Amino acid sequence: MSFPDLLILLKQDLLQTFRVRRVKGKRTEQKSALRRFLGPIVAVTIGVVIIWALVMFGPFLWPFIEDVLRSEGGLGIGATLFNALMLFALLGSIMISATTVGNSERMEYLMTMPISLRTLFLEKTIIIIFYNSMIWLVIGTPLFIGFSILSPYPYAFLSVPAFLVLMLVLVSIGVAIGGLLGLIFSRILAGRRALKQVGYALMSAIGILTGTFWYVSIYTDQSGEMFRFIFELADMVGLSSNLTPGYAVSVLTLGILVGVPLTLPELLVPVVYAVIAFGLVYATAIVSEEAHYSGWLASGSKRSSKVKVEIGERTWDPQPFRRLKFNNTISVSIWYNITSIRREARVFTQYLLGPIRLVIWMILPAIIAGESALDITGYFIIGAVIPFATLYGVYFAGYETVYEGKNLMNLQLAATNMQDYVKGKALSAVPFSLAASIIVSVIIAFISPSLILYLPVLVGSITFLTLASGSIAANAAAMGGDFKAERMITRQRGSAVQMPITGWSMIRAQLLPLVLGFLGIYGVVLVGVFIHPLLSYIAAPGFMALCYRLYGSYSHSAGVKLAQIEATKYL
Amino acid sequence: MIETLGLVKQFNDFVAVNNLSFTVSPGEIYGLLGPNGSGKSTTMRMLLGLLRPTEGTARIMGHDIRTNIVAAKRVMGYVPEEPVLPERLTAWEYINYVADIWRVPRGSEREQEIEELLVLLDLRDASDDLIETYSKGMSRKTSLVAALIHKPRVLILDEVQAGIDPRGAATIKEILNGLRSRGATILMSTHVLEIAEQMCDRIGIINKGEMIAEGTMEELRVKAVGQSSLEEIFLGLTGGPDMQLIAKFLEDAGAST
Repeated sequence: MSFPDLLILLKQDLLQTFRVRRVKGKRTEQKSALRRFLGPIVAVTIGVVIIWALVMFGPFLWPFIEDVLRSEGGLGIGATLFNALMLFALLGSIMISATTVGNSERMEYLMTMPISLRTLFLEKTIIIIFYNSMIWLVIGTPLFIGFSILSPYPYAFLSVPAFLVLMLVLVSIGVAIGGLLGLIFSRILAGRRALKQVGYALMSAIGILTGTFWYVSIYTDQSGEMFRFIFELADMVGLSSNLTPGYAVSVLTLGILVGVPLTLPELLVPVVYAVIAFGLVYATAIVSEEAHYSGWLASGSKRSSKVKVEIGERTWDPQPFRRLKFNNTISVSIWYNITSIRREARVFTQYLLGPIRLVIWMILPAIIAGESALDITGYFIIGAVIPFATLYGVYFAGYETVYEGKNLMNLQLAATNMQDYVKGKALSAVPFSLAASIIVSVIIAFISPSLILYLPVLVGSITFLTLASGSIAANAAAMGGDFKAERMITRQRGSAVQMPITGWSMIRAQLLPLVLGFLGIYGVVLVGVFIHPLLSYIAAPGFMALCYRLYGSYSHSAGVKLAQIEATKYL
Repeated sequence: MIETLGLVKQFNDFVAVNNLSFTVSPGEIYGLLGPNGSGKSTTMRMLLGLLRPTEGTARIMGHDIRTNIVAAKRVMGYVPEEPVLPERLTAWEYINYVADIWRVPRGSEREQEIEELLVLLDLRDASDDLIETYSKGMSRKTSLVAALIHKPRVLILDEVQAGIDPRGAATIKEILNGLRSRGATILMSTHVLEIAEQMCDRIGIINKGEMIAEGTMEELRVKAVGQSSLEEIFLGLTGGPDMQLIAKFLEDAGAST
């Protein structure tokens, strides 16, 4: 490992993100000083606001904080928090090292330089640590500055540098362990595409469902039981233990802040953890180097298969739905959309289960009210299926139109009927919203038998709503889509979210379908409930016809825009 | 000098490069030819330390790529077929970055050399633009400047002239000829057989990972009796196009138009 090389690599990597000097070249690339320094300005502003707020209002809080931290087990609370931050870093970086190695061809220009690959991967790991630490440092540093101003203890200000250094140690441990775990998982999964896909699907599903459960728990928890439970759980799994890195950090930062006397072992333990952190980071670099050379992180398409794959069918005749005949463009569009989505299990799961995150807020009132709201629960559940229909439209037709990216060139060169192509995308969402509406219908049949009469109307309306939503979203995507966005997020840093449709277009893609869905479907059902059931069956075709009309006109509008879109937008 | 000694690269059961041995001497341009997937790029990637050989090794100016790859890379310059460069840097910044890594002393002399290379390859006006705005040809030229700035004793070029305008291609040709006369060791792969015929002192033809012919143009002509051009020799050794299939395609195309 060469330290000067490491410094040069770090400098250049950071220069690409934080450009201090303006680019001299093309005016379109030049950013104003405000835009270039926006990040640091925001960070400093946040810091100043936190310090000001603490100095103004902190004196009232300080006695309480001091009491808690100086009490028996007080530093254990701090340990839990610091260990949680370490866990965040760990969970957030599980796949990052593996992805960095997997995408190493993107840094071929670095790998041919006279630098060992170990140094290169070490630098990448340090960059990951830096980006993972940034948010905690931006929030934590002013907190410690503010509290050390308030603290009456003479050495309280030492907690600030201690926090800065030890936070990096904590995040380093988290990132390195996460990176190593990711590399180990990748080794186990190397070449096992099916297993990998199932794993991605399961992890995505667990992530969405756990997140939803978490929100519900917080929302329904009135007495703080939830947080007590979390701390008890953390205590149980040892997160507040005085053997953990978090405890060592807690002692040296919060302990100094409230004047807890330090013993020699307490001073030495963080040093040991710093050594361990360095060792783990270096180990990540070694394993990454080995992973690169072994080739087990190469993407599936680049790996030679262990088993010779025979091409079974040579006839090109994609018919996505059996017994349903569409023209060539529509059937190819449906086939391409579903095929490209289902081959990425993570994306497929995100699309299918993603609406739960929105839907949960609609059925929460029913969950909270419990049995007392049994009569109207069915209506809440009807409301819950509407976002499934609209969001499936947004995902399958809106997002996927954007993710066509460079393929738009082929479509334009082939003079594809883009209206039909968009229609195909919207149609590809229908089987999934149909399945969702059937599942919901079964639930409603059990919970509110009186609504059984309206279930066929609901299923039919949802189908047509999906078509309308899809074409509206595709139109919004054609207007405000970032056609260079990638569906597979492989960046090493920053947020894992790269919105394919931006700004107003995203609102346009979602709002109109939701308004249409809620007004239309509740209108169709309620007219039957309050006047006569037959009226639902008369109103429903009207609603479906409206949706079908919107489907046609928005598909046309989206198609025209996509056909005219300039190559610079997607190339 | 480049010496490959029984290089083998195996991916599972697939042998990409099989027992490849050749030598490129200082002051020589060696052309590595072969059909797509024949193992040219894999060989180059092993020489550059991007892949580890399954068996065998290579020496670059005496540095073994298995045991001292960093030293080997220090004397090498490389221009890939499709350079992936740091998009958020300008060409000027990138070349200086490369020069720093190769420990080229900073100062006016270095700046002047960068300037000269940029002017030579018609990149001067764009050198302050971000690389993300460059065309493929411009990226390749930038990559060439970066490969030359540290005065490498060994140059490895993968399809260096592909996608470059005629003026740029002629400039590159002259630069390579100049470097050869100053004693540089140059290994290049190309699919343009005329370029190989004109520029290379010796040619190695590989197919399915194995060296099937090697020598000067004269030596190759002697080996392939009755075939005078490199194209004829190449097609004779690696297999020509399937004329029956071509005729069928043209017949079908004629029927449909």
